[in-house]
Amino acid sequence: MDRSLFRANARLEKARLAVVLGDVEAGRREMQQSQHDAAGARDCWIAVGLDAQIRPQSSHPVIVAGRELALWRGETGPAKVWDDQCPHRGMRLSFGFVRDGTLRCLYHGWGYGEDGRCVSIPAHPELAPPKTICAGAHAVATKYGIIWSNLSAARAATVPEIPAVTDWRPVRSLYIHRSAAVVLAGIAAFDYGAPAEPATPAADVYVVTLGAQTQLLLALQPVEANKTGVHIASSGVDATADRLALVRQMHSLRDAIEAGTGPSR
Amino acid sequence: MTVTTDAVALGEWVACGWPGKVPVGGHWDTVILGQQVRATRTAADSYEVFTLDRTGTPGRQLPVQSRYCCIFTTLSEPKRPLPEISEFAEPDRRLVNSGCVGVNTSPYRLIENFLDMAHFPFVHTDILGAEEQTEVASYKVEHRKEVDEIWATDCQFFQPAASKAATGGQMTKYVYRIMSPFSIMLYKTVHGDPGRNDAICLFIQPRDETDCLAYMPMALVDAVSTTESMIDFQQTIFLQDRVILENQRPALMPLDLTAEIPTKADVGSVTFRRWLKQSGIWFGTSEKAAA
Repeated sequence: MDRSLFRANARLEKARLAVVLGDVEAGRREMQQSQHDAAGARDCWIAVGLDAQIRPQSSHPVIVAGRELALWRGETGPAKVWDDQCPHRGMRLSFGFVRDGTLRCLYHGWGYGEDGRCVSIPAHPELAPPKTICAGAHAVATKYGIIWSNLSAARAATVPEIPAVTDWRPVRSLYIHRSAAVVLAGIAAFDYGAPAEPATPAADVYVVTLGAQTQLLLALQPVEANKTGVHIASSGVDATADRLALVRQMHSLRDAIEAGTGPSR
Repeated sequence: MTVTTDAVALGEWVACGWPGKVPVGGHWDTVILGQQVRATRTAADSYEVFTLDRTGTPGRQLPVQSRYCCIFTTLSEPKRPLPEISEFAEPDRRLVNSGCVGVNTSPYRLIENFLDMAHFPFVHTDILGAEEQTEVASYKVEHRKEVDEIWATDCQFFQPAASKAATGGQMTKYVYRIMSPFSIMLYKTVHGDPGRNDAICLFIQPRDETDCLAYMPMALVDAVSTTESMIDFQQTIFLQDRVILENQRPALMPLDLTAEIPTKADVGSVTFRRWLKQSGIWFGTSEKAAA
């Protein structure tokens, strides 16, 4: 996993510990630092959700390594990933609403276009908002039915390449109360009921080939120190009964990881 | 939780309850600025406040005042008296105590929200504002040095249902008055009597930096509405605000004026933040790490 995200996770853990021990001030410092570390995240693509789950005209909160993000979609077009914070008064944009292709902040109705630029300030209807007012927009790509985002400024990395398969279908997003490292180990150790050929085309991405037909793509989203999202797509599983069986199997994968006696962090 | 060492915050009067909260002889425990305190009702109109140590043993006795439907106390030598709000002494006023609401944010986010007209159409839709009329006209802001208060005057906003007494839309005139880092009030046009103003206060009890109780006593000119309906109106408004207040990031108030982007409608908030910064207060602010 991305080293700076690891650092952020470790800081989050320290923050949680400090709060538990009653040192709220130290906890807050660590929390801020962890957000800072995540902000300087290394150049990599992280899965943040299944494309099919994000309806048009909606905005949702997503957390990547402690960093709060808004995942939203206009009337049409691909999903966007922005910092979950209106530049005006810090209101979370995941509470916002969509009008005419713009995301509007719930607090004062400030509207932001798809590139993140502020296009409307209702308190001053005649004013053309200065170009400098921008929501914090991140790079987004939709591939394999999964929404990926790159939180670094560099953005030189490419979305993980998974050759030969084109018909990925979304299965489920699971949220597991374990660290990304433990979840990854659990995915590798899981009994899929058939000879499994695993591959890791990128950090936090796991592909399992089952027999000649079936492939599973599991993409990890580090949420907090002890919480990880897994966005799952499949190929070669098309009959309804098979898809339901696959969903049940993925739920038992989650149960197995959470029941695991290994290190929980 | 430990008591703050911020001398500026410690030197303010803060609300810690209201008269009649408990029967005579009763007491309640609460927290101000990180300090556990116990308030006891010793007689019909008499209250005593003591600090409590970690074991719950009473320590020193604190000054106490019962005014404006609130009990106020302070942990240090107050640098200013409680504000004078003459409306609460007018004989025909309805004094409404709406109790308090817990809000997990900085006290200053609460003050700014109370001071803000631009959110009316979006947060209090079809009550204090309408999406068709969102413009905030210019208003004046001044620091009144003799009382060390910030006043915003000549404020006005179109309101579909400005109060419980309102029967239709009106252009409501507002005056805002920030009386301390933890208290603000407004005067707004009385429905049907443009010569008088309703007085609505917001007194904040900061339990900790991002953990507040908000008290909203009012002195209203309204002979018709029931007390219950007036409390209900105020609580409806406030609960709409709480959704916003608990979802601002960061919860601590940034006093660095470049941290967030204000516009002309925010001149009151800009003046408030500058005034807070000059006061040297750091409790509840983002700048505390550097303090």
